[in-house]
Amino acid sequence: MRTERRITTMAMAVVAAVLLSGGAAQTKDEDSPKLPPGPIADRHELMKHNGDDAEKIGDALKAGKPGDAAAPAERIAGSVDHFLKLFPPGSEDPNSRAKPEIWTKRVEFDRLAANLKTTANDLAEAAKANGDVKKASGAMFKACKACHTDFRKPKDDED
Amino acid sequence: MVVLALPAAAMLGVACASGRDVAASSGDPARGREVFALAGGCGCHTPEKGPVGAGGRELETPFGTFHPTNITSDETRGIGEWSDAEIDGAIRRGVLRDGSVETPVMPYYRYAGMADADVRDLIAYLRTLPAASQENRPHEVDLPFPRLAFRAWRWLFAPDVTAPAVAPPSGVERGRYLSDHVSICGDCHTPRDRFGAPDPEQYLAGAVDGPLGQVVPNITSDKGTGIGSWAVSDIENVLEMGMLPDFDNVQGLMAEMIDGIGGGIGYAQASKADRNAIAEYIHTVPPIIHRVEKKKDRGGPG
Repeated sequence: MRTERRITTMAMAVVAAVLLSGGAAQTKDEDSPKLPPGPIADRHELMKHNGDDAEKIGDALKAGKPGDAAAPAERIAGSVDHFLKLFPPGSEDPNSRAKPEIWTKRVEFDRLAANLKTTANDLAEAAKANGDVKKASGAMFKACKACHTDFRKPKDDED
Repeated sequence: MVVLALPAAAMLGVACASGRDVAASSGDPARGREVFALAGGCGCHTPEKGPVGAGGRELETPFGTFHPTNITSDETRGIGEWSDAEIDGAIRRGVLRDGSVETPVMPYYRYAGMADADVRDLIAYLRTLPAASQENRPHEVDLPFPRLAFRAWRWLFAPDVTAPAVAPPSGVERGRYLSDHVSICGDCHTPRDRFGAPDPEQYLAGAVDGPLGQVVPNITSDKGTGIGSWAVSDIENVLEMGMLPDFDNVQGLMAEMIDGIGGGIGYAQASKADRNAIAEYIHTVPPIIHRVEKKKDRGGPG
C-alpha cells in the first residue's frame, strides 16, 4: 500500500514535470478581416435576418401565440429568390462557409432552397389557419438542416 | 474443515463456471438501449462510417493520440470474452482486464456515478452489438510512463463518486444524474486544466479548445455567454433534432451525439421523458460568465 502510494506520488511528479514543460495550451487567434461589400457580405446579412425571423417563430410558439409566426415565416419564404442570386460563380472566400458544391451541384442547391420557400410558406399558412405550427416549423427546420449539411462548411473548416 | 470447505469450493465452482451467464442475464438489453442512446451511443467507440462500437476515430489530445477500442461482442478484438464485472470495471472504475488503469480520455470517472442497474442494462445491450473484427490500435502517448501516469491521474483527479443502486426516476434529479453520469455533458462542455482534468469551477461553461479542436458552447444559464435566455423546450429541441433557437443546426461532435455516428443511435433515440429531464436540469445550472466563441464569430457574420 505504502509502496503504491510512493509510486503514484512519483508518477504525479513525472506527469507534472512533463506537462508543465511542454503542455502549454495553444492559442489560436484568427481575427478575420471584414468582408468587402458584395454578394458574400449580402448573403451573410440575409441569413442573419432569416435567423432572427426563425427565432421569432420559436418565440411565438413558446409564448403560445402561434399566429405570430406567420409574418416572420413569410419574410423567410420571401427571401429565398434573392438569396439564390447571391451565389454568383466564383463568389468563394476563406471567410465564407459556402462549399464549392454549391456551384458543382447547383440544381440540388436550388432544389433545397426551394424547399425552404415551400416549408416556410406552409408554416405561414398553418400559423394563419391555426394549424399545427409546431409540426410545420419542424419541417422548415429540416429544410434548413438539409441544405446546411450538404452545402455549408462546418465552422472549424474556416481556419 | 472438510465439511465447511466443500460447499465453499462447490459454490466457487458454480460461480466461475456460470458467472458470466448469470450476470449477463441480469441486465435488460432493451433498457440498456436507452442508456446507450443517452450515452450518445458511446459514439467515441464508433468509426465515422461504422460499424457501431468497432473502435472510434483517433482522438488527439495534448498528451498523445488515443484510439477508442472495439466494444463489440467480437471475442478477440471486442469484449465478447469479458465478464460483466470486467466490463463494469472498464466503464466505471477505469480498470482494464490486466489490472492497469485506463487513459482518462475514457471518462470512467464520470461513469463512476452510473447506477448499478443502468450499468447492468448497458452491458446487456453492449453484448448485442454485432461482432466487428476491427483491430484495436495502441495509443500513442506522449508521456514517459503512461501506465503510471494514468494511475496517478486517477488517484489525483478522479472524484470520489458513489454510484446509486438505481437511478433517480424522474425530474431535475434524474436530469442531473443523466447529465453528469450517463450523457456526461461536462466531458466536453467543461474546460480542462493543464492536466486534462475538468475544472470544477467552470462546470459546463464551455471550452475554446474542446475535443477534436472544436469550440464547445457555454451551456450554463448565463444570459450573455451561456444559454440563459433559452427555454427548456429550446434545450429539448437541441437534444431531439440538433435544432438551435434560430433554426440553425448543431454541428460537429454534438450532432454526432444527437443523431448517432456510423449508423448508431444517440440522444435523438432516447426517450422524450429523459431528454426533458436533462433539459430541465441544464436549465437550472448556475450561470458562469465564460465566452468561448472565436472573435470572428462575435457580432454576427461578416
